[in-house]
Amino acid sequence: MDLSYTERERAFRDELREWLAANPPGERPQGEEADYAWRRDWQRRLHEGGWAGVHWPVEYGGRGASLMETAIFFEELGRARAPLPANVLGLLLGGPTLMVWGTEEQKDRYLPPILSAQEIWCQGFSEPDAGSDLAALKTRARRDGDGWVVSGQKVWTSGAQFSKWCMLVARTDPDVPKHKGLTYFLMDMEQEAVQVRPLVQITGEADFNELFVEEARIPDENVIGGVGNGWKVALTTLMNERAGLGFFLQVRLRQLLDELVEQAAASGALDDPRVADRLGDLHVRTEILRLTAYRGLSAIEQYGQPGPEGSLVKWLWSDTNQMLTQLAADVVGPEALTAGRPWAYELLRARGNSIEGGTTEILKNIVAERVLGLPRAR
Amino acid sequence: MRFTLTDDQREIQRTARDLLANRSSFEKVRAAAEQGPDEALWRELCELGWPGIAVAEAHGGQGLGAVELAVLLEELGYACAATPFLGTVLAAAAIEHAGSDAQRERWLPGLAAGELRGALGAPGELMPDAPGANVVVVVDLAQRTAAVADADAVEPVQTIDPTRRYGRAPAGGEPLEGDAGPAIDRALVAVSAELVGLAQRALDMSVEYVKERKQFGVPVGTFQAVQHRAAQMLLDVEGGRSAALYAAWTADADPQRLPLAAAMAKAWASDAGRSATASAIQLHGGIGFTWEADVHWLFKRAQLDSAFLGAGAAHRARVTALTRPT
Repeated sequence: MDLSYTERERAFRDELREWLAANPPGERPQGEEADYAWRRDWQRRLHEGGWAGVHWPVEYGGRGASLMETAIFFEELGRARAPLPANVLGLLLGGPTLMVWGTEEQKDRYLPPILSAQEIWCQGFSEPDAGSDLAALKTRARRDGDGWVVSGQKVWTSGAQFSKWCMLVARTDPDVPKHKGLTYFLMDMEQEAVQVRPLVQITGEADFNELFVEEARIPDENVIGGVGNGWKVALTTLMNERAGLGFFLQVRLRQLLDELVEQAAASGALDDPRVADRLGDLHVRTEILRLTAYRGLSAIEQYGQPGPEGSLVKWLWSDTNQMLTQLAADVVGPEALTAGRPWAYELLRARGNSIEGGTTEILKNIVAERVLGLPRAR
Repeated sequence: MRFTLTDDQREIQRTARDLLANRSSFEKVRAAAEQGPDEALWRELCELGWPGIAVAEAHGGQGLGAVELAVLLEELGYACAATPFLGTVLAAAAIEHAGSDAQRERWLPGLAAGELRGALGAPGELMPDAPGANVVVVVDLAQRTAAVADADAVEPVQTIDPTRRYGRAPAGGEPLEGDAGPAIDRALVAVSAELVGLAQRALDMSVEYVKERKQFGVPVGTFQAVQHRAAQMLLDVEGGRSAALYAAWTADADPQRLPLAAAMAKAWASDAGRSATASAIQLHGGIGFTWEADVHWLFKRAQLDSAFLGAGAAHRARVTALTRPT
């Protein structure tokens, strides 16, 4: 056990820090369009600096970074208050999925514009009636000549309005068990048959969209991983979902906590033992989250698979962020609840944390069944 | 960075797990609860050099570190072993890290070999392994000082945990010259590791039980309410393990971080150890509330460990104080 960085990891971090100091991301602009443009520009700068796909193999234009270096990358991005790159779904989910399941032609065609943010990707998995039970999805794709015609509805597609490609899972065979009749497509978003409608969240913002697909066309060469193999391909995407992102979120949590502690110290609330106790608890949780995430990465690096700790990180993160933002309402007082306040936004946004990317209930089921080996729930 | 045990550390862990599974079954724990510490087991551990694992070779120890000690304590907690190991290693750590050369020479070889038994704790508070100890270290948690008290003045106390002897020692005695802070922090890490082991055992026993126990014609482990409680226990265990191993690592490799790391570990482990062992009673249902089912030994030990050197709230307060903006 050695929790100090290796020389290579330290060199990686120092090089990145130097680059970030010379290329500050700047302030987040107001407005959705401007925010997106800022993140797209940020990814282009990362790409020019050779930092866009740190975890991608060198042969695909990445840096070939280790898992630990990838974690360091996201930690440092968070520390520099940089935004997530515009094409985060392409970088974290789409690219790695193609690397596993894509043909050589598909990799050559799609990977470079993911890195450069020329083509943005979104994820068309969830549907109104297929959330936690993803395999129950109803979007249909039927053969038509040398292509496919797709109809259905998707939901929670973040960035759909900016996207060129959608990772779409659709049912191609309704006559076989639900996991077996699915196919994974790349759907061109730039067609009339695809309509994007913003979905306003409880924060009043629209980070997500609904997708209405009415007889959209997808050529055969845009099938990823073979017809009927969609569930397996989708699992590859899902497994990549939180690999590095967790570290970015963890740093954000740390920054929010530091802000809250500063405010509590300034207002005198920190001298209230009840507040001190809850802040102490949040500190402990935030640190244990970071340590547990590192343990998970080390286990993968050493033994090729995550230990039981790997499945706990997202659950602990969402719980902790919700506790933190709720405590802010007590520490800052009713002022925190007035419109336009950052804490008001954080408080509301945090409610989504235990739903997005796997509800806490589903995560607990997964822990119980796959980690603890309990029989399947009824 | 490598946050996994080394091959050598895993070997220590495996050896300890196997040995204790053979030598410290719940039958033995039960017998010790009635008759006092398991002397045969203690002799065996001493022959293996366990009490001196983290003591420098110059003082008769094995010269390994706080991580190796944490590994052993987790396994001893897992077995709920009835030996004076905890008190002895805590006393040794205090003397090694806060004592003078003369004090080290006087006590460390005996403690490292297990020929002397030790105990450590705050004066007047419940101190594990104090009755029968030869070297009783009293620590002032606020002043971060320590002294070797008069062992004959220890007053034995019956607690809810009969698998270990507890007592109270008076303040005063022969002061240890150095800063006792690191010794206290090492003690926090050690007891946190034991709590992790207790919680892990509680989880393992519960998982086995709910797979077997049937109601409504199915194993109760198929019910989500049961599954989610078990999942929470895993979070309790793994969070504690992350914190305890990290804190143990800082003790030798990055001592500046030890005070905060130790407070975090004890804050989490105190609460997690209690809640995981309580969940084990709950998941065992009616049988879990009987003397015959062994989960109560874990719950009782966890209660005492949790209170020892400050419970969760005390350490959360310390975490807040240590991270307060200046």
